[in-house]
Amino acid sequence: MSKPKVAFFDFACCEGCQLQVANIGESLLDILDIIQVVEFREVMSEKWDGEFDVSFVEGSITDEHAVERIKKIRERSKILVALGSCATIGGVNGMKNCFPLEEVGKYVYGESYKFFPTLQTKAVHQVVPVDYFINGCPVYQPEFITVLKCILQGIPYYVPEYPVCVECKLNENVCMYDRGLTCMGPVTKAGCNSWCINNGNICYGCRGLTINPNTEGFKEVLKKYNIPEDFLMKKIEMYNKCRELDKQ
Amino acid sequence: MAKVVIKDSPYNLKKAKILDVKTLTEKEKLFKLVFEDKTWLDFEPGQFIMVSLMGIGEIPVSICSSPLNRHYFEICVRAVGKVTNSLHKLKTGDIIGVRGPYGNGFPIKMIEGHDLLIIAGGLGIAPLRSLILYSIDNRRDFGEIHILFGCKTPGELLFEDEIEEWGKRLDIHFACTVDRADPDWKGNVGLITSLIPGVDIDPLRTYAAVVGPPVMYKFVIKELLAKGLPVDQILLSFERHMKCGMGKCGRCQIQNLYCCKDGPVFTFKEIMDMAEAL
Amino acid sequence: MKIEQYRILEKSLINEFIDKLTSISKVSAPVYKGFNNYAFHEIKSADEVSLKYIPTIIPPKKYFLPIKETLLDFKKGNEFKVEPTVEYDNIVLFGVHTCDISGIKCLNMVLSDKPKDTGYLVRKKHITIIGLECNDYCDEYASCAFVGAHIPTTGYDLMFTELTDCFIIHIHSSKGMDIIEKTGIFKPADSNNIEELKALRNNKLRIFNNEIPTERRYLPDLFDRSFNASVWKELEQKCLSCGNCTAVCPTCYCFDIKEDVDLSLQSGERYRLWFSCQLDPFAKVAGGIDFRRERSARQRHRFYRKFRYHIDRYGMVFCTGCGRCSRTCMAKINLKEVLTSLIRESEAKIWRKWL
Ligand SMILES: Cc1cc2nc3c(=O)[nH]c(=O)nc-3n(C[C@H](O)[C@H](O)[C@H](O)COP(=O)(O)OP(=O)(O)OC[C@H]3O[C@@H](n4cnc5c(N)ncnc54)[C@H](O)[C@@H]3O)c2cc1C
Ligand code: SF4
Ligand code: SF4
Ligand code: SF4
Ligand code: SF4
Ligand code: FES
Repeated sequence: MSKPKVAFFDFACCEGCQLQVANIGESLLDILDIIQVVEFREVMSEKWDGEFDVSFVEGSITDEHAVERIKKIRERSKILVALGSCATIGGVNGMKNCFPLEEVGKYVYGESYKFFPTLQTKAVHQVVPVDYFINGCPVYQPEFITVLKCILQGIPYYVPEYPVCVECKLNENVCMYDRGLTCMGPVTKAGCNSWCINNGNICYGCRGLTINPNTEGFKEVLKKYNIPEDFLMKKIEMYNKCRELDKQ
Repeated sequence: MAKVVIKDSPYNLKKAKILDVKTLTEKEKLFKLVFEDKTWLDFEPGQFIMVSLMGIGEIPVSICSSPLNRHYFEICVRAVGKVTNSLHKLKTGDIIGVRGPYGNGFPIKMIEGHDLLIIAGGLGIAPLRSLILYSIDNRRDFGEIHILFGCKTPGELLFEDEIEEWGKRLDIHFACTVDRADPDWKGNVGLITSLIPGVDIDPLRTYAAVVGPPVMYKFVIKELLAKGLPVDQILLSFERHMKCGMGKCGRCQIQNLYCCKDGPVFTFKEIMDMAEAL
Repeated sequence: MKIEQYRILEKSLINEFIDKLTSISKVSAPVYKGFNNYAFHEIKSADEVSLKYIPTIIPPKKYFLPIKETLLDFKKGNEFKVEPTVEYDNIVLFGVHTCDISGIKCLNMVLSDKPKDTGYLVRKKHITIIGLECNDYCDEYASCAFVGAHIPTTGYDLMFTELTDCFIIHIHSSKGMDIIEKTGIFKPADSNNIEELKALRNNKLRIFNNEIPTERRYLPDLFDRSFNASVWKELEQKCLSCGNCTAVCPTCYCFDIKEDVDLSLQSGERYRLWFSCQLDPFAKVAGGIDFRRERSARQRHRFYRKFRYHIDRYGMVFCTGCGRCSRTCMAKINLKEVLTSLIRESEAKIWRKWL
């Protein structure tokens, strides 16, 4: 069996997720044993004009040009994977949707904004069908490998439908609330093995809201800990703004 | 850390070889299996096994063949997700892992000597087929046998050949219905509940065995009660999320009952006052 | 109380004892993690140990039923092979409180029930438990006296109790006796020590007040009447379904089973992982149907698992009163308060009958 042909593409993003993949460490060699990377702007200059078995797409879709480009990539790819928060949930780019587009244009390009048409930020699945989602800003390397194995086995990968706290407790961390800090863990999708908390940071909620978050209850919790409510809403908005497009 | 092999682990699997795969509908396939060590799967109708595809997962599946068949056992699987879709890709000769049987199964000894009313909705026919085949094999031990089978469309009808044969038998009353007909369909149209008022049974000497999608139970039970069936003669088989199959993982719990161990077959009497059951 | 079963250890020698213990075996003991949190960790010397501690983040259950545990190693394809395995360690748990010992008893009950969990039984055989009795409540969340877990009864190899100027040690098994002999720093107990221990236990009955305004024997009755209590509905809004309360509970044992393959995709392991009835995927079946969709139903399920269902099945209350669930809940859902509200609510129905 020939190795599956794999490509990496980036849209509006910081390219940090691809960097995580490129820096995956010793297992990278094992991975390269089983896949053939045919396009990866960040690490190689080659291009490929055939069909892709698997395309990893980083970044969110923010203008007409990007829409056309992602549609072409989709057509050429048997499997399309959204890589990182910008791609899976719109990520930080979604903040743009908090303001009228005209205002955003003016802010970025000044009076010539009309020559730079912009669109509401969208996650990749809001433009073309996506087969696999790897959340995180940046992605968590072990989860990337898990998903890759699922792809190669031809089985779906289910993003955990429970919050980060679950993994955090099993890592026996001292809870941030006990330390007098806030943490987005209770309303954020798990799958990162509470990476940030294990390393002494709070959870910023980069993976997006869990499927069934109790945001009202969470506001009550913040009140109990004397944390202003809009502090939380801003944090939720920071990564989850594009979520409202899913509901339309 | 020391690591040892524990052959008597309850999670150990037996290798089963696929003897044959038959496509029944767009979504369902029938798998004929034998254990590689030539042992026999000793089970009761209504029991289930845990089927493993290594590296992919393990799922509960009802055994749908007759327990008296000593040559092979069968499962009928609908492709809905990870394991079931992967199972559909397997071919004759492939090996899968099996443990079990698990669960209580239908109370055959209680049913024998009585009339039997079988009500199957869609894939619910799978565990009931085992009961039907058993009662046909032991026909003289049962009274009247009624089979009601319903599914959404004619294209979803399972075990078509067998159904045709059951319909022809003199010693079985068989009726079938679809929710939505297609132009070729000549039979009944309507929900399965519409067939119940018409069956001619003596409610006090009848056991009803009902298996189908969760939404079906409430309506069917209502009709059966209206017919005068006693609550402890209505047998229901439930589907729950299952991981261990032996009353440990807690996934299948319905209040204080473990569906995998105390069920999956319950009398309506056992669960009628139980929230979370229906 | 047979005096031969008791030994004495001078208080000043406790660190020496722990150090000796670490030289003869792998030892795990409560360690301070900051912000009033403790955890059982492997220790190398006595300085790391906190003798005075409130229940650890995760109970010592983790040594008996590991958070993640391999069930099978397998090979796929033509060389299809499955090998059920167990990993175990000879380890001494030092300083286990009676509530956590009671939690381990609950696990024993479930996992040695048929079909036996052979992996668990192997692992358990290799663990030695040295208990440490609490002379006073650890904090206001504890309700160990309510469930009778505050006094040592069984389930340990050695039990340490602190008296005025020494520890008195109860030897409960030959495994415990081995440790006494190998460390060689214990003295025989005399009748004064025994008298002091008796007095301490009597005093405990006074200090450890019944924390919840009912008695254990009324629990089945209380819960039989409380399925539709309004408390559950209040929890609907409060609970975040974070699963912390179940992750830290010494008697929760629900799990998930998953697989991992190596990059060759040809071999791998099947493992089980702690899981929780509070989480969305717990009870969902194909088609997305969830028989406990509401948070209130999930919380109710947790309480019934602790205080009702297992009384019928195993004859035991599955709560040790350790208070972990209440301590860890950021929504401040408090076990003692929930029980108290249940009692208040059913007062009209049953409380009067008890008076
Ligand atoms: C006693 C019993 C008998 C059954 N008999 C049959 C049968 O004869 N034929 C048949 O096709 N199906 C049967 N099922 C259903 C079958 O077990 C599920 O369809 C299967 O587990 C889905 O697995 P999957 O990996 O393909 O789906 P997944 O990709 O894992 O998920 C699809 C959906 O199935 C649910 N699910 C996943 N694992 C389980 C599980 N262990 N138990 C229940 N639901 C689960 C998920 O929550 C999800 O909603 C039976 C179930 C039970 C409990
Ligand atoms: S630190 Fe954050 S993720 Fe961990 S348990 Fe506390 S709130 Fe949850
Ligand atoms: S810890 Fe509290 S908020 Fe979290 S699931 Fe338990 S009761 Fe709900
Ligand atoms: S329910 Fe709470 S108090 Fe009871 S054993 Fe579990 S964690 Fe401890
Ligand atoms: S709950 Fe009771 S036995 Fe457990 S640590 Fe607290 S006081 Fe000790
Ligand atoms: S499937 Fe594990 S308890 Fe029923």
